[in-house]
Amino acid sequence: MTLELKNNIEKMFKEKKLPSENIEFRKKQIDIFLTKGFPNKKIEEWKYSDLDHIIKQNISNLNFELKLTGDFNYNNSEILNDFEHNKIIYVNGKIKNFDFPFEERENIEINYNQDFKTSKNSINSLINLNNALTFNYSKIRILKNYNFKKPLVIYHFGTKDINSSVINFRSDFVLEENSSLCVINIFKNHSKNNFININQQYKISKNANLKNYRIDSELNSGINYFFTNIDLENNSNSETFIYSAGSKFFRNEINCNLNDKYSSAFISGIINLNESQHHEIKTNINHLSENTKSYQLIKSVLNDSSKGVFQGKIFVDHKAQKTDGYQLSKSLLLDKDAEFDAKPELEIYADDVKCSHGSTSGNLDENSIFYLMSRGLSYKQSKKLLVDGFLNDAIEKITNQDVKKYIKKLMKI
Amino acid sequence: MIDKELEKLKDYKYGFTTEIENIKAPKGLNKEVIKFISNIKKEPEWMLQWRLKAFERLKHLKEPDWQKPKFSKINYQDIYYYSAPKSASEKLKSLDELDPKLLETYNKLGIPLQEQKRLNGIAVDAIFDSVSVATTFKDKLTEKGVIFCSMSEAIKKHPELVKKYLGSVIPVNDHYFATLNSAVFTDGSFVYIPENIRCPMELSTYFRINASETGQFERTLIIADKGSYVSYLEGCTAPMRDENQLHAANVELIALDNAEIKYSTVQNWYPGDKNGKGGIYNFVTKRGLCKGKNSKISWTQVETGSAITWKYPSCILQGDNSIGEFYSIAITNNYQKADTGTKMIHIGKNTKSKIISKGISAGYADNTYRGLVNIFPKAKNARNFTQCDSLLIGNKCGAHTVPYIKNRNSESKIEHEATTSKINEDQLYYCQQRGLNTEDAISLIVNGFCKEVLQQLPMEFAVEAQKLVGISLEGSVG
Amino acid sequence: MLEIKNLKASIENKEILKGLNLNIKAGEVHAIMGPNASGKSTLSNILSGKKGYEISGEVRFENNNLLKLGIEERAHKGIFLAFQYPLEIPGVNTNNFLKTSLNAIKKARGEKELDAIEFLKLVKKKSSDLKIEEKILNRHLNVGFSGGEKKKNEILQMSILNPKLSILDETDSGLDIDALRIVSEGVNTLRGSKNSFLIITHYQRLLNYIKPDYVHVLKNGKIIKTGNFELALELENKGYENFL
Repeated sequence: MTLELKNNIEKMFKEKKLPSENIEFRKKQIDIFLTKGFPNKKIEEWKYSDLDHIIKQNISNLNFELKLTGDFNYNNSEILNDFEHNKIIYVNGKIKNFDFPFEERENIEINYNQDFKTSKNSINSLINLNNALTFNYSKIRILKNYNFKKPLVIYHFGTKDINSSVINFRSDFVLEENSSLCVINIFKNHSKNNFININQQYKISKNANLKNYRIDSELNSGINYFFTNIDLENNSNSETFIYSAGSKFFRNEINCNLNDKYSSAFISGIINLNESQHHEIKTNINHLSENTKSYQLIKSVLNDSSKGVFQGKIFVDHKAQKTDGYQLSKSLLLDKDAEFDAKPELEIYADDVKCSHGSTSGNLDENSIFYLMSRGLSYKQSKKLLVDGFLNDAIEKITNQDVKKYIKKLMKI
Repeated sequence: MIDKELEKLKDYKYGFTTEIENIKAPKGLNKEVIKFISNIKKEPEWMLQWRLKAFERLKHLKEPDWQKPKFSKINYQDIYYYSAPKSASEKLKSLDELDPKLLETYNKLGIPLQEQKRLNGIAVDAIFDSVSVATTFKDKLTEKGVIFCSMSEAIKKHPELVKKYLGSVIPVNDHYFATLNSAVFTDGSFVYIPENIRCPMELSTYFRINASETGQFERTLIIADKGSYVSYLEGCTAPMRDENQLHAANVELIALDNAEIKYSTVQNWYPGDKNGKGGIYNFVTKRGLCKGKNSKISWTQVETGSAITWKYPSCILQGDNSIGEFYSIAITNNYQKADTGTKMIHIGKNTKSKIISKGISAGYADNTYRGLVNIFPKAKNARNFTQCDSLLIGNKCGAHTVPYIKNRNSESKIEHEATTSKINEDQLYYCQQRGLNTEDAISLIVNGFCKEVLQQLPMEFAVEAQKLVGISLEGSVG
Repeated sequence: MLEIKNLKASIENKEILKGLNLNIKAGEVHAIMGPNASGKSTLSNILSGKKGYEISGEVRFENNNLLKLGIEERAHKGIFLAFQYPLEIPGVNTNNFLKTSLNAIKKARGEKELDAIEFLKLVKKKSSDLKIEEKILNRHLNVGFSGGEKKKNEILQMSILNPKLSILDETDSGLDIDALRIVSEGVNTLRGSKNSFLIITHYQRLLNYIKPDYVHVLKNGKIIKTGNFELALELENKGYENFL
């Protein structure tokens, strides 16, 4: 990436009339990004998903500056009517609407000024890129003892107006003590060949509870990186469910830091791909205090020449005695060109722990298909029944009944 | 009885040094040293050229650095690449001519070289620093057409086999340490089992590093021709020294149609002292090629020694229906580090692999299982099963599991399971209630934990290995 | 042989034994009966030295301060606990375990250790005496054993180790009639002027086969009544709820 690009970006900073320290920070971040470039397969964590290559293959003339003008509109019919919910709407990465009709607004604080102090976390160059080029920022704070009455759906609309662009945005959430929130990220991308780089940060205070669902179900040409960091304090809990099926490329990366006693993190996910889609789920569960618990279950179904990747790591600090960590990844390869790669990893420095992981990969059991067909089902029906059954475990982990129902509807189960 | 034995073996019973006159190459790594090695071994020109090619390639390589155990920089110019007992420079007519000091050394290690003293009928090739000093039971093996000799001898006597297979599994242009070995390897064992022969006895090589500031770079090549079978064992020890000594061996196995090679290692190089000073850097490349259909290669390793163990005995399952197995116990105590595992590369149809790994970490040690299972698109109906269990003793040590799983064939099946836990306190209580002290109880439970691997070893090695498991964990519970 | 004076024990600040007194002389068989959570298993754990309890009071075993001895030292002195839930230890051959255990005890007592052949002879005899199939001894310790096999294995271990004081912690629970007979035969064979027993049980059933010299009723961490075999029958008829 060229000097010209760098100059253009810096010019844009000036045009936006940002405060000088803000510009300084962004300049540093863009410098780091430009030096490192997009992650490639030489970086261990990106071994199975060479993003640099994927972007080069799918997007020519990638546009960083995003001189997007115009008022983009989304199609109202795409708003869910399956259950009542609060909304945040992003269109092409720009904040369009915040709508919390079901909540007590005095218990929610929203701030649009980017908090650079929390931007130090930089595990890869995409975070630097996001830090440098995020102009759509929001921080939502849920005050002590407040429980969201309805889920909050964050819509990620992409419209046909844009193509070949890098879109960065970030949202932070703070759940104060004893509060709770259910967030659902829904992707509806009709744009062409964009790289979407999202960063979400969650701070879950004592006794607070987060449900965090994300649904990418409709076929689209987007290349996505969605980084989520979840910090968990005493006796707090986070539940994450990922449905990863729509985009050309999607990497969900989730960091859970179990910072204090009795905190727990649960992640379940489905990767369900066709054609030449390529999706990855990468998790880092850091057990940093005693009596913490984590559970992960990832199911993948790969058709055609699609590729699914699961990289999951359980880290147990020497302080984190009595950790209970579990991880299971199962995949079905349904066509001869499909590929599944896994790297389930345990890094353990405490002795009084119970940690295990398992991974299987293979095809549907021929005997089961035979059995079902002998009872009169067609091959296709039998296959669907078995695949649905295979995926069902992961769906059953969803504790919000509305979301569970919605996912089942999407998957026609 | 156990206590007395433990007392005797308290530190490292193989830690003695033999005073013996040596011939050494000049210190350092350069063309001249390589020529010196080739020359003193009276090698043919093609061998020298092969080494020099590796050396050229080495200049462009860097040490790999992705491994978990980090180590201080090795000064490759400060190592003797060749050291041999002076007495070994003359060709021996029989074992009776062997330097008594060498005989005594091997007796002390529990490896008598005189055939009449060996009741168990295992043929031994004894490697002392850079050279093979003796190979036993040659006559009996020759009857069956089995070739079991030092690598140096094989280069001279069986050049056609060496030329054909040397570097065919670990090419000259492989990673840094393998390439270093190709340039400077000094000796090692060579085995050829002819078609349809079941090798009449276990073959074994016993490696001993004796001289200081010396690296050991042996090279072993085993070829099992069609329909043959061989079981091969290796053991290794070194004196206690404050310096870290490098051991970078290459082992290549080739199994042709319907052949089977069973390769067992009990690795007990000097692990360093209680504070992590000294010990061997055991950076070894071991690779087996299941070249023929229905062939099988099985690796079993018990790794208790070395300051750092860094190795992945692997199987390339090229022939249809071929089988690869890897059974491993890695025990690290005090400041020892291990990063070990295997690679199972499934290329042929109906290939099967099985990985059983047991890691035990105590003291301040770090123990990593790292392994790759890679199913190629054409490896129809391939199967893998992997089980990795780690046991932690104390909360200053680490246990890590890093499997890489790649499946590119929809008709194949991979299963992987891993667990990490500490010694079950209720099991300990139960054993103690029956009168066992804590150390014996731990040794018993750990041996139970390792059972699946231990039972892969030939009988007398299994007994030895079981004792070693107990000894290696001594002092791990305060 | 065993003297327990004012034994109190608590775990995680919860007091379980609240001043228990018990005196067992050589050759006596004592039964302790009590409802669930009365402290029966705690007593057996404390006698065998399981860690994790806060203990006060005095326990003397043949003039040793038992509470100061480690788990295996107590075993060496002749205390045997037949576990309520015998542990499974994968990979460890039962025979090999037993031999290691027997020789550790013999060694601690300054007796001659048994070699493999002597040991096998002993095992053969004991298992045929108790009509226990020898083949379970070649399996991994308790792994995949049925509940009955585990308990039989405990009794076989007891008869081989020949302890001075055997504590049977609900060994009868979940046993069918045949297994129950084997357990009681094990006890009755070992019974003599030197060997004592402490039988902890919920039901009187086992006591029909092993007639105890004394029966104690444990409730809320204390022995509330002591009597002879008749007491056990009374307890069985009335039930713990209505008793006292």
